[in-house]
Amino acid sequence: MSKKNGATSLPGPQEFQFPQPKPDVPWGTFIYNKSEGTYFGRTIKSWSKLMIFYVVFYAVLAAMFAICMQGLFNSLSETEPKWQLSKSLIGTNPGLGYRPQSEKETERGSIIQFDSKKSDEKQFWVDLLNEFLDVYNDRTKLPEKGAKQKICGFNDTSVTNGDKVCEVDLTQFGPCSPQNSFGYNNSQPCIFLKLNKIYGWQPDFYDNVNELPEEMPEELKKYIASKPSEERKQVWVSCKGQFGTDKETVNNIKYFPDRGFPSFYYPYLNQPGYLSPLVAVQFERPKSHEMMNVECRAWAKNIIYNGSIRDRMGSVAFQILID
Amino acid sequence: MALKSDYEHGRTDSYRVATVIPTDDDNLMADGQRKSRRRMPPKPAKKENLDDLKQELDIDFHKITPEELYQRFQTHPENGLSHAKAKENLERDGPNALTPPKQTPEWVKFCKNLFGGFALLLWIGALLCFIAYSIQASTSEEPSDDNLYLGIVLAVVVIVTGIFSYYQESKSSKIMESFKNMVPQFATVIREGEKLTLRAEDLVLGDVVEVKFGDRIPADIRVIEARNFKVDNSSLTGESEPQSRGPDFTHENPLETKNLAFFSTNAVEGTAKGVVISCGDHTVMGRIAGLASGLDTGETPIAKEIHHFIHLITGVAVFLGVTFFAIAFILGYHWLDAVIFLIGIIVANVPEGLLATVTVCLTLTAKRMASKNCLVKNLEAVETLGSTSTICSDKTGTLTQNRMTVAHMWFDNQIIEADTTEDQSGVQYDRTSPGFKALSRIASLCNRAEFKGGQEGVPILKKEVSGDASEAALLKCMELALGDVLSMRKKNKKIAEVPFNSTNKYQVSIHETEDSNDPRYLLVMKGAPERILERCGSIFINGKEKVLDEEMKEAFNNAYLELGGLGERVLGFCDFMLPSDQYPSGFSFNTDDINFPIDGLRFVGLMSMIDPPRAAVPDAVAKCRSAGIKVIMVTGDHPITAKAIAKSVGIISEGNETIEDIAQRLNIPVSEVNPREAKAAVVHGAELRDVSSDQLDEILRYHTEIVFARTSPQQKLIIVEGCQRMGAIVAVTGDGVNDSPALKKADIGVAMGIAGSDVSKQAADMILLDDNFASIVTGVEEGRLIFDNLKKSIAYTLTSNIPEISPFLAFILCDIPLPLGTVTILCIDLGTDMVPAISLAYEAPESDIMKRQPRDPYRDNLVNRRLISMAYGQIGMIQAAAGFFVYFVIMAENGFLPLHLFGIRKMWDSKAVNDLTDSYGQEWTYRDRKTLEFTCHTAFFVSIVVVQWADIIICKTRRNSILHQGMRNWALNFGIVFETALAAFLSYCPGMDRGLRMYPLKFVWWLPALPFALSIFIYDETRRFYLRRNPGGWLEQETYY
Repeated sequence: MSKKNGATSLPGPQEFQFPQPKPDVPWGTFIYNKSEGTYFGRTIKSWSKLMIFYVVFYAVLAAMFAICMQGLFNSLSETEPKWQLSKSLIGTNPGLGYRPQSEKETERGSIIQFDSKKSDEKQFWVDLLNEFLDVYNDRTKLPEKGAKQKICGFNDTSVTNGDKVCEVDLTQFGPCSPQNSFGYNNSQPCIFLKLNKIYGWQPDFYDNVNELPEEMPEELKKYIASKPSEERKQVWVSCKGQFGTDKETVNNIKYFPDRGFPSFYYPYLNQPGYLSPLVAVQFERPKSHEMMNVECRAWAKNIIYNGSIRDRMGSVAFQILID
Repeated sequence: MALKSDYEHGRTDSYRVATVIPTDDDNLMADGQRKSRRRMPPKPAKKENLDDLKQELDIDFHKITPEELYQRFQTHPENGLSHAKAKENLERDGPNALTPPKQTPEWVKFCKNLFGGFALLLWIGALLCFIAYSIQASTSEEPSDDNLYLGIVLAVVVIVTGIFSYYQESKSSKIMESFKNMVPQFATVIREGEKLTLRAEDLVLGDVVEVKFGDRIPADIRVIEARNFKVDNSSLTGESEPQSRGPDFTHENPLETKNLAFFSTNAVEGTAKGVVISCGDHTVMGRIAGLASGLDTGETPIAKEIHHFIHLITGVAVFLGVTFFAIAFILGYHWLDAVIFLIGIIVANVPEGLLATVTVCLTLTAKRMASKNCLVKNLEAVETLGSTSTICSDKTGTLTQNRMTVAHMWFDNQIIEADTTEDQSGVQYDRTSPGFKALSRIASLCNRAEFKGGQEGVPILKKEVSGDASEAALLKCMELALGDVLSMRKKNKKIAEVPFNSTNKYQVSIHETEDSNDPRYLLVMKGAPERILERCGSIFINGKEKVLDEEMKEAFNNAYLELGGLGERVLGFCDFMLPSDQYPSGFSFNTDDINFPIDGLRFVGLMSMIDPPRAAVPDAVAKCRSAGIKVIMVTGDHPITAKAIAKSVGIISEGNETIEDIAQRLNIPVSEVNPREAKAAVVHGAELRDVSSDQLDEILRYHTEIVFARTSPQQKLIIVEGCQRMGAIVAVTGDGVNDSPALKKADIGVAMGIAGSDVSKQAADMILLDDNFASIVTGVEEGRLIFDNLKKSIAYTLTSNIPEISPFLAFILCDIPLPLGTVTILCIDLGTDMVPAISLAYEAPESDIMKRQPRDPYRDNLVNRRLISMAYGQIGMIQAAAGFFVYFVIMAENGFLPLHLFGIRKMWDSKAVNDLTDSYGQEWTYRDRKTLEFTCHTAFFVSIVVVQWADIIICKTRRNSILHQGMRNWALNFGIVFETALAAFLSYCPGMDRGLRMYPLKFVWWLPALPFALSIFIYDETRRFYLRRNPGGWLEQETYY
């Protein structure tokens, strides 16, 4: 290296001393350099200065973020979403939900699988349903202890003021009762359907028998026609086998307490103690060892249906497999 | 000071100086063929090549008798080769052309672009995507095609950026193609007694060729017949004077002997016939070109910087990727999810568009430099010039005008300065005195130079002249002073002439006078001043003829010394009116056996010529000096001339003395002067020959102003290596073939566009189209500017990495729905960030970049700790905060309050969950919440664009306030508008929801990022305010990048 005859020893013109490569620092010395007192290339003082700088910097940034968040919270209401219905991304087209659903094992997808002979498998689903229906059973577990709950009927208009909420009576679900283990014991499982809650959404019912859409199943049309006209204000529900083979295997479906969600539950306005109306669907005598792809659909004039896998709207699909 | 005669300027010893160093194995066979040209051991290439270069040419073709020569090649001086033999030789040796430097095959170049840099990382990402997709496809009935889609996008990104850089690269190499397409050379060959005109490539060993003036020598030939044959060997040896060549063997050294002429040198006078003794790569020229291409050039500084930077970023990406892959495992994610996180982190970490940005920035600068006469062959060389700390410059043509010009005259016992400027803007002198009239008459008449035809509109100084350079200078000077020299010559008809020769060292001609009443003949003579003076008996002073006494001789000597001391080539002029009684009209003058007086003439004056410096050079040298760049002059010229030019252009600055100057001033021998005291040095090539590398280091170290005179091009290589040993980044200019190793060895080789040989252009990284030193300085300025601007550009681009990475980290660690998707990241990196980042290449410098030292290539990195700290640690964090704020705003306004989001990820991403409850009890289908999520991605993306507005403005300056810098960079202003328009397009264009999963935003969702943008601006203005207030302070040490 030319450094040895370098300028350090002899005075001379130093104007053009070219930069020299950095000396190689071994790892050990880099971590702790005794002669310069540096850890990882810096002295403790230098490190702490830098730390303080960043602590202050991030503290200020965090404060600013907090202020912004506070501003956001101030602009929000506690009870109603800022954007509603079509202004919100939730839109005006509610989907359907089903229970039991194994939330913790979403990898399983939407398959309800159990062996009717193995009690622990059945019990898993029964427990899930019990858990789900807990608030329906015991109104004291609801916000405000369900004080504002009342029994509603089709002619009852008082609920629409948003103060009172309608109760859901579990005794109306026939064989789909907890006492009956929701039919899971005798391989005739009940699935509970519910329509997604959308703040302020008001269904537009198919209540005129003459205006029913083409694609509505005939048996549902007949059923609607058989209903008294005041009870036709419901969001109707129908389930069927999803694919060709399923259409034959999935039959003998029973609906409890009725085939729809009655009008008096709507609109949902985030009332304390509000409970979604439910429809229990029981599959009687399903075939064993065969996957049943079931698709359930909600019917109202303002529910758009799309059955595609990616863009499912106004409906829900799930599978039942009984071993 | 001893003055050698001017006509000795071309030197003959320097090449030998460099070629006599003995080597153990010269790698040549007995007949001069290389034993193993292609199989040189590649590893110790540098040392070996250097030795090779110095080795003597061991051939004997010049020594053997012509008969032996003919026998050896089975040829005949009159009939040449037989066609069959020629064909056989051609098949054996191949065409007579230089093998072009080994080109990397196009597909290798393409693959380098496709897999180099970040591309490999992105390929890994794409591959992981495909793997993830195929696993999903095989296990699940309804695989989401997200991964397939992303994999394809990534692959397309890599391929497109690869093609783009390849295109840029090939475009710049196309510039070179234009230089390669030379006009095909033809040669006149005698075969089977027939004269043929063949393409030079078809020549073979033993061919008998004829060359005439103006031709390029088509191969190395042994001259067997010559008539007044002269060759210009300057491109080979650097000697500027034409050398005569003939059939006689005069010197052991093949380069010195008169009976060899070499490939690609030019015949300037006469005709000759010769036998081809070596072809193509075996020629002397071919060997040098071959050596140059074998020299290891090393990485350019900017390539080093970019590699450094790529390693840094790749390191971070791999570290983060692997860490989070592991964390995801520990947190119990499915391994496929972990792989997807890994892809996301890689994509977020890699600034996909940055390398393309750098390429475009360099291209833009290269274009700008080309318009300023610096043609850059290799894009990276753009910046190398900016890091240059030493320039080794040629003198002739680069620093000077390459045009002998009359600089001074001495008559009437006084020195008159002539105008040497290119545009005749200098001093004027009295043209009416009798002394000048007499002098000008001699200069005009005793002069064989003539203007070439067809140059009516050209200024006199730019006109081409046939004839010797000194005579041309005189002709031009006279044309300027008197007007039409030709008509004057017509009026004074030339009767007889003795041309210049090196023994007489004078030229004399006899003319009729234009005064028709005067029957006397006029004898005019010019030549080496002391020889002329010897022949004079009187001197013409102020219109009177005086006896040439000692006093006048003293005056002459002083003038001669003074002009010689200026490094000028001095000529003496005298005349004589031949008495009409002895030499009546019609007298027959015999020039062979001189029958007229050439003694006792009347001395008129001296004229001195120099190749004057170019007008812009002194400024340029001063600029280099203030920019901390050492300018070293390396020339083949005489030390005195070199020193004079060096002084006049400022390479040796005023008041700085060389050892010799000090010795003279103190009147002590040179050996007693402490070399350290002299700042300047003029080193003679002959000294350099004996100097060890340590001593050379010492010269380079202790003298700030160095002129190497009388150096051979080989020594240039040694000087360049010496400078590089010192740690300098060296730019070298050169035009000769022999310069090409030095050009190649230099960090940046600069070839001359006009005077340069093709081989030198091939070896160089840059070509000066106007051969002007000042253009190099412009190049340095541009190079420094682009380095600064690349820093800014990278700082800008890297900043947005943090808001790109942090969503993934939050996604994994906090279990929130993904705030920013991979596709949107690509939209930022390859879309909105690109134009602003490129526009920073147009940013004006903040201060005078030519007033600071060259950058330290070891410490002043393109991407340093402070830049990362600023981009990642500070500005990037503010940007991330802005993005997350927008994300929380949209989520909250639609129903998901921030706290509700934590831990929701699994449910959120499950297709089975069709009724996810938000903070207001609303239940979201999978489709609706994905729409919400992608709207958040879009909003996060838009908020990055918004904060990047502020970022681009703060990146415009590193120290100054934006108020000072202004917003006059219209490319940048356009960039801001463009990125905004692009963001709006991506968000609002119908179909984007399907194509890129970008959704339209409510206008108010553009706004939440604004306070953060503002705070970025305020923060950085404040930071820079304190930076300026406390130069060198803590803030500067930690944040000035």
